[in-house]
Amino acid sequence: MKPKIALLYTEGINRDQESGYAFRLAGGETELVHVSELKSGAKKLANYQILFLPGGFANGDHLFSAKIWASESLAYFGDQLQAFAQDDKLIIGICNGFQCLIRTGLLPFNHLGKIEATLTHNASNSFQSRWVKLKIESSNCVFTRGLEGQIIRTPVSHGEGRFLAPEDELNKIEQEKQVVFRYVDEQENPTQIFPANPNGSTNAIAGLTSPNGKILGLMPHPECNTIWNHYPNWNEEKQRGGECLQLFKNAVTYF
Amino acid sequence: MIRTLSVFPKDPSIDSKGKSLLADAKEFLKVKTIEEIRCVRKYYLEGVIESDFEALRAKLLVEEVWQDYAIDANFYPNHPHQIEIAYKPAMMNPEVRSLKETAKALGITLKAADSCWVYYFFGSNIDQAEVQNIITKLVMNPLIEDIRTETPQTLIISGQIGKINTIPIRNMGDKELMALSQNTLFLTLEEMHTIQNYFQKIGRDPYDAELETLAQTWSEHCGHKTFKANLIIDGQEVVPLYRRLKDATKAINHPRVISCFKDNSGVFKINDQYGVCMKVETHNSPSALDPYGGAMTGTGGVLRDIVGTGKGAKVIASTDIFCLGPPDLAEEKVPEGCKHPRFILKGVIRGVADYGNQMGVPTVNGSLHFHEDFRAKPTVIVGAYGLISIDKAQKGEPESGDLVLSVGGKTGRDGVHGATFSSAEMTAETEKVNASAVQIGDPIEEKRAFDAILEMSAQNIIKAITDCGAGGFSSAVGEMGSKTGVSIDLEKAPLKYLSLDPWEIWISESQERMIIALSPENLGKAQAIFSKYNVEGTVIGTFTDDQQLRVRYNGETLCDLPMDFVHGGLAQLSLEGKTEKFKFEEPSASVLQKNNYNEALKTIMGNYNVCSKELIVRKYDHNVQGTAVQMPFAGGNHQSPNNASVLEPLPGMKQGVVIGHGLNPILNRLDPFLGSKWAILEAVANIVAQGADPENIALLDNFIYPKPDSKYLADLSRAIDACVETSKELGMPFISGKDSLSSTYRRGDKVIHIPPVLCVSAVGIIEDIEKTISSPFKKSGNKIVLIGETKPELGGSIYYDSLGYVGTQVPTIDTKLAFQIFKAIHQGIKQGIILSCQDISEGGLISSIAEMSFGELFGTKIVASVEGMKDYEWLFSESPGRFVCEVAEKDMGILKTICDSIPCILVGEINLEQRIVVELNQKSVLELNINDLKQEWQAPMKKVFG
Repeated sequence: MKPKIALLYTEGINRDQESGYAFRLAGGETELVHVSELKSGAKKLANYQILFLPGGFANGDHLFSAKIWASESLAYFGDQLQAFAQDDKLIIGICNGFQCLIRTGLLPFNHLGKIEATLTHNASNSFQSRWVKLKIESSNCVFTRGLEGQIIRTPVSHGEGRFLAPEDELNKIEQEKQVVFRYVDEQENPTQIFPANPNGSTNAIAGLTSPNGKILGLMPHPECNTIWNHYPNWNEEKQRGGECLQLFKNAVTYF
Repeated sequence: MIRTLSVFPKDPSIDSKGKSLLADAKEFLKVKTIEEIRCVRKYYLEGVIESDFEALRAKLLVEEVWQDYAIDANFYPNHPHQIEIAYKPAMMNPEVRSLKETAKALGITLKAADSCWVYYFFGSNIDQAEVQNIITKLVMNPLIEDIRTETPQTLIISGQIGKINTIPIRNMGDKELMALSQNTLFLTLEEMHTIQNYFQKIGRDPYDAELETLAQTWSEHCGHKTFKANLIIDGQEVVPLYRRLKDATKAINHPRVISCFKDNSGVFKINDQYGVCMKVETHNSPSALDPYGGAMTGTGGVLRDIVGTGKGAKVIASTDIFCLGPPDLAEEKVPEGCKHPRFILKGVIRGVADYGNQMGVPTVNGSLHFHEDFRAKPTVIVGAYGLISIDKAQKGEPESGDLVLSVGGKTGRDGVHGATFSSAEMTAETEKVNASAVQIGDPIEEKRAFDAILEMSAQNIIKAITDCGAGGFSSAVGEMGSKTGVSIDLEKAPLKYLSLDPWEIWISESQERMIIALSPENLGKAQAIFSKYNVEGTVIGTFTDDQQLRVRYNGETLCDLPMDFVHGGLAQLSLEGKTEKFKFEEPSASVLQKNNYNEALKTIMGNYNVCSKELIVRKYDHNVQGTAVQMPFAGGNHQSPNNASVLEPLPGMKQGVVIGHGLNPILNRLDPFLGSKWAILEAVANIVAQGADPENIALLDNFIYPKPDSKYLADLSRAIDACVETSKELGMPFISGKDSLSSTYRRGDKVIHIPPVLCVSAVGIIEDIEKTISSPFKKSGNKIVLIGETKPELGGSIYYDSLGYVGTQVPTIDTKLAFQIFKAIHQGIKQGIILSCQDISEGGLISSIAEMSFGELFGTKIVASVEGMKDYEWLFSESPGRFVCEVAEKDMGILKTICDSIPCILVGEINLEQRIVVELNQKSVLELNINDLKQEWQAPMKKVFG
């Protein structure tokens, strides 16, 4: 079956084109679903298998990054989100989408409406657009099945990607193996050092999954490395891009 | 009642805003007594019951996992050094709309709200003057913000629309006419007479809005009077500038030109379905006053030019090019009333980044040029590129009965010709809102408007579209209805606040507004789209068939002018120019001989005009949209620069566009003709180096000149000659352009002219994105080849600059040979023979080789025999139309065949030794560690942005 992917859209989302392209390359069928269409009832989340929260500056990142997007989603279709997250379905949020997952409480622990961590301003105090390397950790995340231990290259483009959580929550995340991606240095070791770790995230955390492995959130942009020409040094045969497509294929073949 | 809520992180060390502000305060203001700044967010909520206030706090405004808060109290009570900066009462705070809408989503009624920042200063012995300095120089924009000392009585904005006035122009003498013009209209006496005569003829005095409409439409900014003027240069009558350019494009007759010089952007065909739009704008004056805000609104404006092309286009890329005073300029050299170049640099970069990043537009190409004579007035250039369906590339003609639709932002007083507006004739009362000069950018407003417009375009319901830029409604509506006539009911325009006069609504340059011509039967479809995207779209009038520009406010007329007078009433100017040459000194033989080339190369690589700009590029999102093929930096460490960027406008399309540009203000000052040619060749060479096909290239001109008095008018005419001649010889048409002719600073008897800028942007169409290359060297053992002719011509070069000279001999140009070289490079890349490539520009051959080595820290051994010129000339000449190429040894024969009679010489080899070694005529002349050289090259911007 070809799963249907809802690309959740609202004003300020701007990574919809590459997000849709990534899932179509992976064999999925994508559709833009505007928050206003879920609010009005014109569309229902129940009709999709995968919910994708793309990157951007939803509502101008007013108040906090993704705050308005998360608050409106909870208010207008929180029940649908709840049902989606409890069903055997997949949710992925990238960059602003990850921020939204944190601010709806879907991550780290799938406690809808409860904020248990934050993504705040980069330690460098500035927006950073650059390529980083990520190590894929062992976890039960559906998106990274079979990829554990591998290194992938992705661009980051964000000003607020520094993951912080209170000590108890952080310990729980680590113990339950919810960390899916960590920023690594040239020797492929997790690092706190800029620019390999572009934002100063605690424990070099770049992405997380929910305890059941079906919700994934990350700051870097794997959807911008799904085909050979995405990586800047593709002219060299060994450096062609596209390795991140497998994340999206894993999601599609889950259904 | 108004409640307040103040919010701050539990861990002060993550207060990024406070830390950045302190860093800026230390850098720009040299503050010494302040050790820490904390920025506390403060919300004002009016008319909210206790339970709702608590809900807003818990669900929206405070995240207790990482934040602390204070209710109805200062966050740090009794702190001696705290200052609250808030928007002025009538300014629109973009965040408030979001706050109110989300409150509504939570089922909460909120009468009004505001948000602002409170700055707390910490230190053991704070100097209050330093605090004041930080607030006035780094924090507050006094045009839109105030220091708030107490909670306001109400946040609800009240006001009343002002009256329509008539100006008794018919009886004015010349003195009164000029007094009227100088204060508000900025028209010449002759132009004022034209207006006076018209109203004498029709037997009434004009309304205020009519004078304003004419002043806007006839301004240099909108009317391009100099470019359209009759010219006499050195006693000879010559064809007007604009016509020369247009005629050249017509003569070239390139089959890919879809639209040129008539729309908001030029359109060049990609394939049978799509075209690429290109537009490059300047925003110099606003950026000089407010670098951040000016760059924001400059970017917002040029993006609207793309969307306002034909029947709507999608923005796919932006570019930014700045010419500024050097970042280390001594404070005492900053002219009175001007800002330090370093402050301008950081501000404009932040402005472009904040706007472009939020819009989801990749900023893919740009450059920085530094010269002391930009210290008074910077040149701030922002470009945008778009993707348009060929069937939507031409505007339709509005018909009588079609609707005039305003889409996007509301109208306020922002951008109504500045704070000087105080003429008694024009206003009956004092201003109620003191914020007229600046335009305020709000990218999220523009983003949602674009979303709605692209869907309208896809549904094929846009007849014509244009943006509200200079002149606001008056220009946008006046132009769109110029053939039909138009009738506007101005009271329908959505306003930011009521305290406006009707004429202000009519000419306001409030940002993020577009005008669309719509058939009435499509109004329902349009409204459904606006509702989906949460966008304001309002019918403000209709197109007519009487060729009148008619505007009413609640039935009362404020403008009723025939279109042919508005658009055709202005007489063509006649201007005279006379050539004058600057004289500069050539360095003497003794100066040149003393030079040590190791030191010379290090100095050149660390020159502001050559050094790495990577730290700036990192602030711009350049891969959003997923269209990246070749981006600004490449190489194993992503630190080696490409010459241009390549995009696949739609993922999977396979065809690509290559985007680049060229300029060299110093050469223009030395020789406006050759300097302009150099800029064109540089723009083209940059995109050819990445794989562009010289047969499929379009160009765009931006002239940023000092006020065109006699000399600069003559220079401008020569620059146009260069454009005409070169574009014809290359077969590359100019399809759009813009002139900005006011970059002279005067105060008392002090005059500073900027070095004249001709910035040429180039876009190339390629059939296969895989047939493009990046610039850095790829493999040890491969050969380094120099293609093109090196000449001993170092006038205006970086090498001379590093010795403290300008020189005289500007690079000469053989355009026909250059075109043959471009074709050869293209062939070499297409056939996979040329593996990496850089064009040679500022810094010369050896700096290009160094830049190509930085990506993998390769070593290079350069060996050549140099005849007919000195070693330094061979190393550092900036003769255009030359390339450094990497070629595998086995392919050298094929490359020679491709090059045929074109100069193509083997100059060296790539190795793994990490040293750049140069031997000329069997003598070692230069040897440096490549990593050390890279540090020199990266150091200058690290000092600014590190």
